Amino acid sequence: MSDISRSHEYLSFRSTIPQRKIIVDDDNSKEWTLYEAGPKTVKSPLICFPPASGTADVYFRQVLGLSALGYRVIAVEYPIYWTMKEFVEGFRKLLDHLVLDRVHIFGASLGGFLAQKFAEHSCRSQRVASLILCNTFYDTTIFQQTNSAPTFWMMPAVYLKKMVMGSFERRATEPEIVDSIDFMVEKLDGMSQQALASRLTLNCMNCYVEPQKLRDVDILLMDVFDECALSSGVREEMCKCYPEAKRAHLKTGGNFPYLSKSTEVNVFLQIHLRKYDMGPYRARELTENELQLLSEADGTLNKSS
Amino acid sequence: MASRKKVLLKVIILGDSGVGKTSLMNQYVAKKFSNQYKATIGADFLTKEVMVDDRLVTMQIWDTAGQERFQSLGVAFYRGADGCVLVFDVTMPNTFRSLDSWRDEFLIQASPRDPENFPFVVIGNKIDLENRAVSARRAQGWCHSKGDIPYFETSAKEAINVEQAFQAVAKNAMAQESDVELCSDFPDPIKLKDDQAKPRENCAC
Repeated sequence: MSDISRSHEYLSFRSTIPQRKIIVDDDNSKEWTLYEAGPKTVKSPLICFPPASGTADVYFRQVLGLSALGYRVIAVEYPIYWTMKEFVEGFRKLLDHLVLDRVHIFGASLGGFLAQKFAEHSCRSQRVASLILCNTFYDTTIFQQTNSAPTFWMMPAVYLKKMVMGSFERRATEPEIVDSIDFMVEKLDGMSQQALASRLTLNCMNCYVEPQKLRDVDILLMDVFDECALSSGVREEMCKCYPEAKRAHLKTGGNFPYLSKSTEVNVFLQIHLRKYDMGPYRARELTENELQLLSEADGTLNKSS
Repeated sequence: MASRKKVLLKVIILGDSGVGKTSLMNQYVAKKFSNQYKATIGADFLTKEVMVDDRLVTMQIWDTAGQERFQSLGVAFYRGADGCVLVFDVTMPNTFRSLDSWRDEFLIQASPRDPENFPFVVIGNKIDLENRAVSARRAQGWCHSKGDIPYFETSAKEAINVEQAFQAVAKNAMAQESDVELCSDFPDPIKLKDDQAKPRENCAC
């Protein structure tokens, strides 16, 4: 077992936050898995989308850390969907089921791509209040797997796992990054062939985001300055694709900064979500004290001339 | 190889409330100024790409809450700072006297490797105002006593010297960065296989 899986923090996460399974499709083998924490009165929670290899619990440090500050956080794990249409429709049904009109989505790698696709899909109905995209991309052709993607469903699990594992940076020296890789390898190992094949299909099937449809969405781009699976070229393309987006860079963090540098990632998430605190799309419940402070801060006038 | 690595410099702006930390950051990054005062809650950051000695560097500038009751984010973001800008208002002597405690607070929280030579810059802001109360000499004296910290007199409102002050902190931070690279990094391993030419992206994990 990896150090993270054995850590007190992770064990307390698993023992206090129940895992929920929700079916929203006609096919009752398609199960969403959720971990949720924070006040139910919040109607625009932060939803976390995992990368191809990850399960919902890879965001346990966001669920624990942010819910302690009053945020409502829901980490999800996708059912076995094979097409983008299935995914966006399925997620919409999940939001309907949870009675959530507008949410903030934090997505990493495949999760970030899916978050953009969902924002694009729902650009008229505006189900997305904001996006936080971490180490991600907007066009699957960068992987040059579009031809083989349709055959992933019948590939043996070992082959698929190798495909993903190949992208993990093994030269990492920072202990937090090494631990995060160990944990993700464990998660990957536990995935069924079907689950992994469906994620990789979504990841590699020819598909791209039309950024003009996301023009009105508030976006935070998060990325690392050390080695990660995506080349710096791809990361720069993301920035060019969303020139208005705010950029949150981390010096290091590897592929999974939400695990390896969770304190910093959580600070970025808080700063991003703060501007919603006083509005209808707030992601947390404020205490009386905070409410008073915030309205005071808004009311302070013209001290400097 | 090591010197071609992309560099991210984290710079923290500290000082009493109302001295113009947010205004300095906005003037430097966005070239904007507003007379309207709004207290900063917690912290905020902006990024700007700058050239330092022919190298493209990404500066991440952290604007912090001057008022203690708004410091809700704690000091987690002090960690890993490469430079620090201490700001006071030249018309308010008490904001100048606070510099000592801001500097101490920073050194305790960020605990840099080499506190004696940490790249600080001091800014005396609001020189566009008439009622000046802290002389340049007095400020320079303090900077000198703290290990010759560079001192700049600025006006965020009129964009005087703002660029220069931030450029100085970036330059000094880079100088430290390259020192570290020289003494602590292992040399890059010799590669037997050239993986640089690999055209395909790794399948995202």
